[in-house]
Amino acid sequence: MSTITPRAGSVANEIGKGLLDLVTGWREMVIQMITFPVFYLLIVLFIGRGQLRADLLAPVLIGMVALTFIHEQVNRVFWSYQGDIQSGVLEQTYLTPLPSALRILGRQVSAAVAALPTALSVLATGYVAIALNGGRLAFDVRILVPVTAIAVGTGGLALILCGLTLVYKRIAIITQVSVAVYAIAGGTLVPLTSMPGWTATLSRLFVPIAPGIEAMRNILLTGPHSGWGPAWLLLQPVLLLGIGVAVFTALERLARKRGTLGRY
Amino acid sequence: MNTPAIDITNLSKTYGPTGAPAVDDVSLAIQPGTVFGFLGPNGAGKTTTIKIAAGLLTATSGGVRLNGFDVRTRRAAAMSQLGAVLEGSRNVYWTLSAWQNLVYFGRLKGMRKAAARSRAADLLTELDLWDRRHEKVGGFSRGMQQKVAIAAALVADPPVVLLDEPTLGLDVAATRTVKNWIATLSADQGKTILLTTHQLDMVEELCDRVAVIRDGRVIADQPTTELLSRFRRRDTYEIRVEGGPDQLPLLPGGFTAVRDGDGTTITGDVADPQQVYALVDRLRERRVVLRSLTQVQPGLEDVFMTLMKEPRHV
Repeated sequence: MSTITPRAGSVANEIGKGLLDLVTGWREMVIQMITFPVFYLLIVLFIGRGQLRADLLAPVLIGMVALTFIHEQVNRVFWSYQGDIQSGVLEQTYLTPLPSALRILGRQVSAAVAALPTALSVLATGYVAIALNGGRLAFDVRILVPVTAIAVGTGGLALILCGLTLVYKRIAIITQVSVAVYAIAGGTLVPLTSMPGWTATLSRLFVPIAPGIEAMRNILLTGPHSGWGPAWLLLQPVLLLGIGVAVFTALERLARKRGTLGRY
Repeated sequence: MNTPAIDITNLSKTYGPTGAPAVDDVSLAIQPGTVFGFLGPNGAGKTTTIKIAAGLLTATSGGVRLNGFDVRTRRAAAMSQLGAVLEGSRNVYWTLSAWQNLVYFGRLKGMRKAAARSRAADLLTELDLWDRRHEKVGGFSRGMQQKVAIAAALVADPPVVLLDEPTLGLDVAATRTVKNWIATLSADQGKTILLTTHQLDMVEELCDRVAVIRDGRVIADQPTTELLSRFRRRDTYEIRVEGGPDQLPLLPGGFTAVRDGDGTTITGDVADPQQVYALVDRLRERRVVLRSLTQVQPGLEDVFMTLMKEPRHV
C-alpha cells in the first residue's frame, strides 16, 4: 500500500480537480464575468429609478461581490455533486479512507477561487461606475476578513444542501430558492439596518453572508457602524460550518441506510 | 486457515420498515488470493451485498470485514484494503483525462501525488492507454472507459477488489482484455477478487470458488470444481440419429427427442449409463441409423439454471 497522506492532501486533491473543471468550463466563467457586472448595474438602476446614483453604487457593489461567492460556492458545488450522483461517480469517490465532508470543503475552496474572476469583474465595473459618478471607493485590506468569513459560512450552507441531495435528490429548487432568499436576507440589496429588527436579527444569526456584508460596508463606506461586531463576524461562519458538517454527516448516514447514496 | 480477505457474516439488509429482505443472513468467507464468483439472477442481492462490503450501504444486521477490518467500525482502514468497479456506473470522470482520473483517484485513496503519478503511469502502460492518457475519458470507447475504471480501482494497489459486472456492455475483445486482466491480478499479484457477472463461462474459467444467491439467500457456496462435479452425478447424454422422431421407439422416462435438421437429437438425463446402452440397443433393433453418442458435461450455466429451478439447496 502506498503511504497515506494527511487529510489536507484530500482537500488539495479536490481543489485541484475543481480547478481542472474550472478550466474545462472557462466559457461559463467568461459569461459570468460579463453578466454579473451587467446584473449589478441593472440592480442599481432599478433601485435608483433609472439612475446610477453614486450613493447606491458602492453599497450594492459590496453586496454583489458577496453574492458572487455564495452563488459559486452553493451552485457550483451543488451541481457538481448532483452530476457525480447522476453519472454514478459519487459512490466511487466514497471508497476512500478520508471523510467525505473534507472533499466538499475542498470543492468549496476551488469554488471560492472560481468566484474570484467574476468578483473582480464586478469590482472593476463598480469602481469605474463609482469614479464616473464622481465617487471613490478606497480598497482596505481588512475586507479580506469578512470575505473569508463569507466563504467559510457559505461552506456550511453548501454542506447542508449536498447532504440533502444525498437523501432527497431532486432539490435543485431548494438550492435556487435558498440562494435567492440568502441574497435578499443577507443585505445584498438593502442593508440590514433598513430591515425590520427581527429580520435583521435572523439574518445576522443564520445567513452566512449577512455579517460579512455588514462588516465590508462598515470598513469601506463611511457612516454609522452596524452589526454585532468582529467577534460575531468570526464566530458565525465557524458555527455555520460546524452545523453544516454535522447535518451533512447525519444525512450521509441516512443515505447509507436507505441506499440512496448513488441512486438518482 | 488465514484470516479471510472478505469476511461476510450473517449479513441482512431490509429497505424500509416493512420491505422484504434484499439480503437475508448471508455469510461468505473468501480467502486471500481467491477469485470468487458471486452469481445470481437480477435482484437476487448481489449488488446490495457488494455495496455493503464497500461501505456504501449500511446493513440491517451482520457485518463485513476486509482483511480483518470491520467496514462499519473501522471504515478508514477497511477502505484502504479495497478497490471496486461498480455496476452500471461510470466509475470515473468523463470530463477528465485518463491520466487526471488515475491521479485524482489515487490521491483520493490517500496516496501521495508522486506515488499516484508513478502508479498511474504503470497502469496506463499496462493497459495500452499510455499514448492516449491525456484524452478525455468521455471520448473513449466503452471498453477503454472500462479499462480506465478498473485501473482507477487498482490505482492504490488494494489487496481486495470488488468487480460488479465489469464486462457489462463490452464487446468480445474488450471482455477478453478484462478477463485476462482479472486472471493476472489473481495469479501474479495475489489479489482477492469478488466478481459478479452474468457471463458464466468467464466465472467457470476464472473463479476458484462460486456462491449462488437467490432471493437474498446464498443457496450454494463451493469451490467451482466441486460445484460442477456435484451436478455430474446425473449425466446428460445426447444421441443423434438419422430421420425424424416418428421412427423412434417409445423413449424411456428422462429422454426427449427433438427434430434436428434431417435427423433427430435424443437427450437424456440419467443416473445409470446402462439406460443409455439399452436405448441404443432398441434403436438398432428398429434399424435407426446412429450418427453420434456424446456425454454432455454440465457447465456452470447448467448448474446455475438447475439451482434456480430447485426449491431449496445447501
